Amino acid sequence: MAKPTLGVFGLTGCAGDQLVILNCEDELLELTELVDIKDFLMASSGNDTSCQLDVALVDGAVLSQRDEDMLKRIRERSRLLVALGTCAVWGGVASLDRNQDRTRLLEDVYGEMGKKYDSLPARALHEVVNVDLSITGCPIEKDQLISAVASLLQGDPPLYPKYPVCTECRMREYNCLLIERGEICCGPLTVAGCQARCPGLNVPCVGCRGPADDANVESAMNMFGEKGIPREEIAAKLRTFAPAWGVNV
Amino acid sequence: MLQLSETQAAPVFMTANPYQPHMARIVRIYRMVEDNYVFTLRFLDDQLASAFSYRPGQFMMLSVPGAGEAPISISSSPSRPGILELCVRRVGRVTNALYRLPNNSVVGLRGPYGNGFPVETMTGNDLLIVAGGLGMAPLRSLMWYALDNRDDFRNVTLMYGVKSPAQMLFREELASLVGRDDMQCLLTVDSDPTGTWKHHIALLPKLFDYATITPATTYAAVCGPPVVYKFVLQRLLELGFSKDRILMSLERRMKCGVGKCNHCSVGYKLTCLHGPIFTYWDAINLPEMI
Amino acid sequence: MKVLRLPKERLDLFASVLQQFGEVHAPVEQNGKYAFRALSRWSDARLDYPRTILPPKKYFVPPKDTLFQYKEGLGYVPADLAADRRIILFGLHSCDIYGLNILDQVFSGKYDDPYYQARRKNVAIIGVDCIPDEHCFCHSMRADFVDKGFDLFFQDLGDRYLVMVGTALGDDMVLATGSLFEPVTPEDLAEYKQRSSAKRKAFKLHVEIRDLPEIFELEYDSSLWKQVGDRCLSCGACSMVCPTCYCFDVADDVDLGARSGSRSRTWDSCLFSTHAMVAGGENFREGRASRVKFRYYHKQRGFVAEYGRPSCVGCGRCISACPVNIDISQVISQLRGIENATA
Repeated sequence: MAKPTLGVFGLTGCAGDQLVILNCEDELLELTELVDIKDFLMASSGNDTSCQLDVALVDGAVLSQRDEDMLKRIRERSRLLVALGTCAVWGGVASLDRNQDRTRLLEDVYGEMGKKYDSLPARALHEVVNVDLSITGCPIEKDQLISAVASLLQGDPPLYPKYPVCTECRMREYNCLLIERGEICCGPLTVAGCQARCPGLNVPCVGCRGPADDANVESAMNMFGEKGIPREEIAAKLRTFAPAWGVNV
Repeated sequence: MLQLSETQAAPVFMTANPYQPHMARIVRIYRMVEDNYVFTLRFLDDQLASAFSYRPGQFMMLSVPGAGEAPISISSSPSRPGILELCVRRVGRVTNALYRLPNNSVVGLRGPYGNGFPVETMTGNDLLIVAGGLGMAPLRSLMWYALDNRDDFRNVTLMYGVKSPAQMLFREELASLVGRDDMQCLLTVDSDPTGTWKHHIALLPKLFDYATITPATTYAAVCGPPVVYKFVLQRLLELGFSKDRILMSLERRMKCGVGKCNHCSVGYKLTCLHGPIFTYWDAINLPEMI
Repeated sequence: MKVLRLPKERLDLFASVLQQFGEVHAPVEQNGKYAFRALSRWSDARLDYPRTILPPKKYFVPPKDTLFQYKEGLGYVPADLAADRRIILFGLHSCDIYGLNILDQVFSGKYDDPYYQARRKNVAIIGVDCIPDEHCFCHSMRADFVDKGFDLFFQDLGDRYLVMVGTALGDDMVLATGSLFEPVTPEDLAEYKQRSSAKRKAFKLHVEIRDLPEIFELEYDSSLWKQVGDRCLSCGACSMVCPTCYCFDVADDVDLGARSGSRSRTWDSCLFSTHAMVAGGENFREGRASRVKFRYYHKQRGFVAEYGRPSCVGCGRCISACPVNIDISQVISQLRGIENATA
């Protein structure tokens, strides 16, 4: 049986999620034996840019017409399209300003030249094309990537936790920065999978993985409010990575 | 009062590790209805295959390596040992993976779990089986058990209704039972777009008009979607059934099957240990049951 | 029960003897909180701690527990537990010992859980008494004193401990120290009684559990559940830190190449939206309120029906771990209609 074909692509973003793939040093050799990586610009200069793909991994958000065209083209070539990383899944940092007047923003930053730039308000991939699987994270977790590849090779979607970071934080018996230190920790709202890496290092969760399945944003806002933290401040913090929290200020 | 919970000790062939799946081979795949196939399975270990027994109404935990484990009710009857027939609806991760497997593949099985129907208590009574939609899957076991031990029961009646003929589980088999003189088999569809249906075209509760039921000496076994429970239970109560004589088979997502993981809890009962067969009295006394 | 006394200055010596029975674990300080950890030196142990972040259940049902390895052709091969190391768990409070006694019931019965049982055999339990803080209500849950479930139990009597020997293993530990332990004196007994009566009076939190199952039945449709549900973040913290929350999820991990993998169970919570979801997506407890209610109902009502007592031991962890201050004692007071209670 022919090996499944794979492509890795980057839209607008820091390309950190593609870098995670290259950082899977222990698994890379096995990976290349299991799948035929056809198109991966960051890793190879000899790419087949038109072949049909079984799986496309797409990193970054859609911020330009060029991104949008590229994404639609990838969608056409691929049986499965996987959104890779918080930008691709939720819109990410670049979507912070997506409700503002784009023309003015461009003028503010680039002056007259701004008008000529191909620039659109940031969108997550699912807002442009149909997405089959989302692997969130800023950057993605290596083990979630490997488990996705292993599961997809077998024909199943990977199983990821849907509960919040708090659960993993407690499982690992870390100190609670929210309760014990009164910090703005987004652990109760953010989807787990990172093994509460930041709280484990005494750094509050910034919500980089986006919302948990069942995030109770309203109650969390009230909780922060009772600690004397203004709603605007929390809202701004949550919006840093995902416009989709549904925060009402 | 009828006591259903934990009517039996753990079977002797169970290993010390209750989570241990035993390997079994798929010996037949019957593509019965779209997304409802019947898988015939046989344990690889011959001794286990012949010693394995169960009660109608019990379920198995089915493992597809890599995809996980899921509870599946047993559709075959213990009166026909050696093999197990599981009617599997393609609906989730494990069942999707099962549907990908070719005949002769090996999967994991452990069980049987749950209380099953209290057939000893039901012996000597009339038996009324009422199934709606996919509810026939667990009730088929009880039906064949009764037919294979025909002298243990008095009147045996089956009422089975589905939306359209194409959705009827075990259609040919059940059609062949119509007209048998040792049971009454009533089959109905809500509507028949094909125009070839030879049985009733009516909603399931209508079938009660065609049967003579004596509630005082009858056990009713019911399984189906919520709408079936709603109308059938109402009909049974109108007929004068005691709530203890109405037996229902419930579906929950068992993750362990052995009363530990708590995923199948209804109120404070566990479907895997205290069920999946509950009386209607249990059902109205336990919140969130139906 | 064999009862002895141990002068406090000899505790270090006893601890050093203990090492021959296994790796000694005890509460250690962690940024102002406490956790059971393997000790690198006995002086790290903090026996006067209020409560650990996680209860000792982590030793018996770890957060992620591999049950089987599977390989094509081999089937499911159980994880080998025989090689597990022996551990001496020093410093459990009676509520936590009570919690383990409750887990013993869940993980035995018609189906013994071999993973739990194997670890239970490998871990010795040494209890110590404690002074209740503002979140403790173990006396209400009848878990402030235990008469079983420990190998040894140390009661602080000031300059000495009163030591109860619960098992043959505990007795072996005592005997291995030679003459470190002494017979108790009438003064020790008097001191013990005085202290245990003082402890009873030290509780600030009270929960009335008599007729609580009935109250739960009567208040099943109470609007309180929606209020608590609206607050609950479904973050799972209370379930993780609960000594008697044992819900688990089971899943297969696939190795790259899909010819092998493992099956493991992971701590789960009935507060998660996926807990009562069946294949196909139907959810029997979709609303947050119904999930919150289920958690209380199961602990305070369901467990009584099944095992004759609530599964809550009053350790106070869920109160101290809730980011939005949901407090079980207040929820119960409100359910009972007691005035001035605010959940």
